[in-house]
Amino acid sequence: MAAIIAILKALGRVVKRDLGTLRSIQFNNFFFFAMLLTYSSLASGRKPAGAAPFLVLLGFVLLFPLSSDPLSKIPAIRLVLWPLTRGQWWRLRLASLGLSPIFWITVLILVTTGSPAAAGMLVVVAMVMQSLLMLAGWLARRAPRWNPYRYVPQLPGALGGLVRNNVRQMLTLLDLYVAIMVTIAGSAYRWFSPHPEPRALPIMAFLIGLALSTHAQCLFGLDSASGLTRYRLLPVRGWQILLAKDIAFLGILLVLVLPLSPMAGLAFGLVVVAIGRYPSVVLRLPQKRWRFTSGDFRFGALQMVLGTALGFAVYDNGRWFFVAVVVVYLASLFGGGWLWERESRQSAL
Amino acid sequence: MISCREVTKSFEDLVAVDHVSFEVSSGICALLGPNGAGKSTLLKVLTGLLPPDSGEVRVAGLDVAKQSLQVRRIIGVVPEDLGLFDSLTVQEHLELTGPIYGLNATETRDRSDSLLRVLGLDDARDTFLDQCSHGMRKKTALAVALLHNPRVLFLDEPFEGIDPVASKTIQDLLKAVASRGIVVFLTSHILSIVDRLATEMMMIRDGRIVWSSATQTVSRPLEEIYFELVEAAPLEELAWLRSSPS
Repeated sequence: MAAIIAILKALGRVVKRDLGTLRSIQFNNFFFFAMLLTYSSLASGRKPAGAAPFLVLLGFVLLFPLSSDPLSKIPAIRLVLWPLTRGQWWRLRLASLGLSPIFWITVLILVTTGSPAAAGMLVVVAMVMQSLLMLAGWLARRAPRWNPYRYVPQLPGALGGLVRNNVRQMLTLLDLYVAIMVTIAGSAYRWFSPHPEPRALPIMAFLIGLALSTHAQCLFGLDSASGLTRYRLLPVRGWQILLAKDIAFLGILLVLVLPLSPMAGLAFGLVVVAIGRYPSVVLRLPQKRWRFTSGDFRFGALQMVLGTALGFAVYDNGRWFFVAVVVVYLASLFGGGWLWERESRQSAL
Repeated sequence: MISCREVTKSFEDLVAVDHVSFEVSSGICALLGPNGAGKSTLLKVLTGLLPPDSGEVRVAGLDVAKQSLQVRRIIGVVPEDLGLFDSLTVQEHLELTGPIYGLNATETRDRSDSLLRVLGLDDARDTFLDQCSHGMRKKTALAVALLHNPRVLFLDEPFEGIDPVASKTIQDLLKAVASRGIVVFLTSHILSIVDRLATEMMMIRDGRIVWSSATQTVSRPLEEIYFELVEAAPLEELAWLRSSPS
């Protein structure tokens, strides 16, 4: 029994640390926006119904990392090497389920609502998600051609390979999946609603931009030390490295806002990239894969306010405002490139 | 080809490289020294990854500090952390590198194919870097460093942590590369390999070059010279290993 308890203790520590990484959401712009909506409703004495869809969306995407099997955090080879009997292994298997956050949430739902159906639904959804993730991982290992990463093509030009790397990095952020779900919801509204409100389309494009905007503050957050060394060794200027990052970010954003309001959405994207330039290059906030991006609150607030204001200006007034936004973006690109080169020279690797 | 004059680099109170000067014009030059002696720091200074506090480094006549972009075009580097992206496959690293160094698609493909064949990476070309063994990663970094046909090749611990077959492959490749006029500068503490491979050797300790084959004749085995410069590990602290097995 002592062996099982020792393993469970270690597993508990690992699960606790892993859950700690999910706290990155508290500095995410989309979460911040949902919290603002909640606060404004509560402050005016109403139920926060307006924020509910956004919180549900975030909760749904969070279920993916939450539903992971706690026992999978122990390296498989270690489980095989430990001298556990079959009985001990099964006891460990069952006890480890108690460390799953899904188990705690299920108990919480049962206690607060008394509804076994709701609790059962959560367990089923989590199990389906976990099965999908396991299947995807198994396929990627056993049949590499099924690895979805492979289908990200290399763009033409000298920076094409860097853009591909950056797109693949973005595919590992939960922010992107929130943005995709907003795109799906917005497109359904546009095509299936009998009388879609025209002004709702840029707003939904801004929501997509907002979901991705925290990443614009930490475009190097997923680059390992090894990747950063390669950037420093490549014979390219700082602005070219930033351009490769921006093309990936703005390209994905453009695809997502295309069914809604491409020009206003792209303007929002250019503004958030320009504002995120300084934290991206100088603050270098590290990020984790399969988590929400965590940014800096001050830059996040600026991104939200200026992105929306200038996005609407472009939507209402057209091309000249867009040209102005592009000029601001270009200034941030070249200024950021200069900063990147300065930081690279100064940083002790 | 590589000229290093009075180079010093400090990190706060620690002097990692202390007034180092040397010249390398051809062949394979190996920089030896214990862990923490300043090998990797010196290599970073030579490749422009770190600016020196004082002194001057020139590669092929170009000032590494002032003409950094031009220097990066003519050197190939296998850095300490290999400088690779986890989200790319072996082949994709070469596809990324070729266009950045001005190679067209055909040149990139042809050179990639031959490098992957020679380095024994042909079957691993579609493997993502985070699924590669350490040896495969090292060979990938070497392929990336050679793709654009550099004039000078810098390698930080190229034989560290790899199996004998990969090590032999890399040694053979470096010999071939040096025989074709590419200057190779590497750091290592695997004496047996360096003894066979290098045409020139230097030893660094506490940031200073304490021995160089260019200025002193190698009259004794390299190991003997090396262990004179490195403190032996205090094994007496591990006395419990013998006395009380549980």
